[in-house]
Amino acid sequence: MATAAVLSNGNAADWADRYYHVDQILDRPGPRTDPSFLAGEEVKKFLREKSKILVIGAGGLGCEILANLALSGFKDIHVIDMDTIDISNLNRQFLFRPKDVGQPKAIVAAEFIMNRVPGVKVTPYFGKIQDKDDDYYMQFNLVICGLDSVEARRWINATLVNMVDPEEPESLKPLIDGGTEGFKGQARVILPTVTSCYECSLDMLNKPTTFPICTIANTPRLPEHCIEWASVLEWPRVFKDKKMDTDDPEHIGWLYKTALARAKEFKIEGVTWSLTQGVVKNIIPAIASTNAIIAASCCNEAFKIATSSAAYLNNYFMLIGTDGVYSFTFEHQKRDDCPVCGGQALDITISKEWTVERLIEMLVERQDVQVKKPSMATSTKQIYFQAPPQLEALTRPNLEKKVSSLVDDGDYITVTASTLPFDLTLRVQYT
Amino acid sequence: MSAVSESQDIEQATAAIEQATAAIQQPDNKTRRYDRQLRLWAASGQNALEASRILVLSSSATATAVLKNLVLPGIGHFTILDSAVTSPADAGNNFFLAGPSSIGKPRAHEAVPLLRELNDSVEGEAVVKDVRELLKTDEGRAFVSGFSLVIAHNLRKDTLDELSKLLWADHSNPPLIAVRSAGFLAEFFIQYHERCVAQPHTDDNVPSLRIIRPFPALSKWASELDFDKLDPTEHGHVPFVIILVRAVEDWKKTHDGKLPSTTPERKAFKEQIAAMRKKIDEENFDEAEAQVWRIWRDPPVPGAIQSLFSLAPPSDSPNAVFHALLQTLNAFVAAPDGPGCLPLSGALPDMRTDTESYVRLQTVYKDWAAVEKAKFKELLQKGFPDLAPTISDEEIDTFVKNAHHVRVLRGRRWSEWDADKEALASSLTISPRETAAHLGLAALSALLNKAPGKRCRTGTSDHASRGCVADGSTVTVDGLRAEVQQLVGQDIELPEDVDTAIGEIARAPTADLPNTAAFLGGMVAQEAIKMITKQYVPVNGYCVIDMVDMWTGTVGGQ
Repeated sequence: MATAAVLSNGNAADWADRYYHVDQILDRPGPRTDPSFLAGEEVKKFLREKSKILVIGAGGLGCEILANLALSGFKDIHVIDMDTIDISNLNRQFLFRPKDVGQPKAIVAAEFIMNRVPGVKVTPYFGKIQDKDDDYYMQFNLVICGLDSVEARRWINATLVNMVDPEEPESLKPLIDGGTEGFKGQARVILPTVTSCYECSLDMLNKPTTFPICTIANTPRLPEHCIEWASVLEWPRVFKDKKMDTDDPEHIGWLYKTALARAKEFKIEGVTWSLTQGVVKNIIPAIASTNAIIAASCCNEAFKIATSSAAYLNNYFMLIGTDGVYSFTFEHQKRDDCPVCGGQALDITISKEWTVERLIEMLVERQDVQVKKPSMATSTKQIYFQAPPQLEALTRPNLEKKVSSLVDDGDYITVTASTLPFDLTLRVQYT
Repeated sequence: MSAVSESQDIEQATAAIEQATAAIQQPDNKTRRYDRQLRLWAASGQNALEASRILVLSSSATATAVLKNLVLPGIGHFTILDSAVTSPADAGNNFFLAGPSSIGKPRAHEAVPLLRELNDSVEGEAVVKDVRELLKTDEGRAFVSGFSLVIAHNLRKDTLDELSKLLWADHSNPPLIAVRSAGFLAEFFIQYHERCVAQPHTDDNVPSLRIIRPFPALSKWASELDFDKLDPTEHGHVPFVIILVRAVEDWKKTHDGKLPSTTPERKAFKEQIAAMRKKIDEENFDEAEAQVWRIWRDPPVPGAIQSLFSLAPPSDSPNAVFHALLQTLNAFVAAPDGPGCLPLSGALPDMRTDTESYVRLQTVYKDWAAVEKAKFKELLQKGFPDLAPTISDEEIDTFVKNAHHVRVLRGRRWSEWDADKEALASSLTISPRETAAHLGLAALSALLNKAPGKRCRTGTSDHASRGCVADGSTVTVDGLRAEVQQLVGQDIELPEDVDTAIGEIARAPTADLPNTAAFLGGMVAQEAIKMITKQYVPVNGYCVIDMVDMWTGTVGGQ
């Protein structure tokens, strides 16, 4: 009965029994299904004809996500990716072939899915998520992210949180986020303003490895130190303003040779092409299997949310696959002082003696803030601005001043930065 | 140092790049293609993958999802053994079938080319035969046993039983991964006699630095160093290892040759280190204090390794080399002229010091590691004169470097656990939801085995099995519950988790959901890669997955 009804909907691409597997779930509830689930035609119609889903990223996770969504019955899928295909993607990004190297990921992936899964429309956008405005994001029921960039995740998270209008339930777009690193990964469901958001959990990220400049310049010990010397100190010295392109094998070759020479001078072993590339591009190991697991778990959540056929993840699934299979599912807590969804200012307590420069250093260091080149102001005065140059010059003398001479105890500072997709409010107290 | 002057222009600089790279070739295409995975399992793991031949029973959505994640990283060969004809349902849930145009054609034939196009260097073959028929002949059994690994998805219970017995019969037969799924629930089991893992990658910490058991060159350096004569820069660059070795030596002199052990002693020891500082902000001393745990926690042999020494090697084990290395390790620790602990790995973590001291320290460690490795090899030769010449230097090297955390896993035959009522009942108390899901799936396979329940579409009479699907119409909550009760014993009260699991299974008894298939595809391929590369640690027991509440767990391990 079910299949006949789907056919009569007039979707020519649906053959009888096409959704035999998925329909077992949609035709009846399970023991943990919410009573609001309406089994049968209505939910299938919504999934297959009305729902519209956005996939951000068409890389390792994105390729998997697109295929899973298409097979699950989502038929109106949009995908955004700003990257082109590289040969090193082919070990896992399974919608791409050697002939596609150099082509935009979003476009190639969309075409592949449409060819393979009849009746599914995938609309690609080859560009940045920041190119799109609220109206664009408002058209989707769900957003799934398969990104490798913290910055892009923070942006989409802040955008979706800010879009929520309490008067308009439709303005709340569930955000499903996946990420992997080697044999490890995580998937989570974010209901903007309701659950913990991406920004709430920023301190869970591993701190990136950085080497002190004095080690790089004076006392190198590891091959990585020699590579950093070549890329951070030698490149700008030799090539001035010429931008280093870490995708250009000639540039990597120069860095490799330069690092190797320095390593020889200091009798340090272990500089290789692969390590050089790994250090300068900050390469994270990536394999098909982990991506498959995490993408499947993201799409499974999307399917459950779109159909209400089963309870969805609350709200964080973490997987470590190195020693057997270890996973941990937990509810990550919302932070009241989250600068994106918390609504409260971030309290900081500093010494009365601290200079503005010291405060900036602290902000850059803090794992729960993660800001580069912040500008700061109070409601009445400018403290320090990174740009434009005139304003920077004008506010530069403040760097050496004490914060306490510019901001009263208990007063607020607004922090902005080009990498920060929102304004961060600090409430300053002195010890 | 670069010879390039600071005044050169961009063109010259670009020329310099070209010149520099002329001699240095970037890696070949294959290395670039596999770059992101070589960073995990290196060339040795890749070679093992490329030498592997994998047999997959079924070309269901789950089976092809597993294969996709094995073809991409580059296994050598795969064979799909499947007699099924593509049903309309298959064409709807399987990414590696060509949609409706595959309907009515042999499923394996349709899937193989779409999997092969993922990676030119992988061979793939479709064998359109029924595994039950194959297992009836010697030739068929030899064929199945000739692979490096066999993976089966939703295979009939009696066939799986027969297959698992065949593969279990001989230690040299391939391991088996048995995968079962229904709707949001799934599990897989890896059948192996024994897995020896020389590179578990489970511990990122550098093993013992021998601070409390210094070897001669280290001891000499630490005891001869005159801290007072060092200028402030030199003092601030003494490696923390040397500081600690010296501090231990000084402590022992005034404490009957004993290490600090009580809390007050440890506190006093830390104060002794603090007193060695010349300035408050010497970072090498900060490090020495932070690394002081290396003195409290440095057993001659970690407990887990010690317990491997008493493990009797199986008589017909294909892991004879690993066991020889393990017994040699035991002999090395026991040797009266040895250090009384595991051999030095030779690795050194980064530390606050100058280049010269670091490189010198690195050399001291490497040289001594070579001395102990030579001693190890001597013992290996003595203990295993026949085997020793067949073991490569690389193998010994890898083993010695990982000696502090090598692993041996002992497994059992598929379904052996299901015959142990007591174990099941106890597991149901300890891990109710995981055990319940396993029992539910075991009950399902028992029910389907008795009566698969078939539904065929009309108008497709040209082929007997065309358009037919096992629809699980025979599967009911009551039927599942009765099977579960039979597995654990009639007198066991079933927890609520059992109702949840069987309710979910009865809802979708034959559903191979795209997302569950993809999830399993990743999980099972990952375990297969661990089995083939002998790197990382595979699952022992049943890995159970619930995609409603989104958790995984392991039950029934040894």
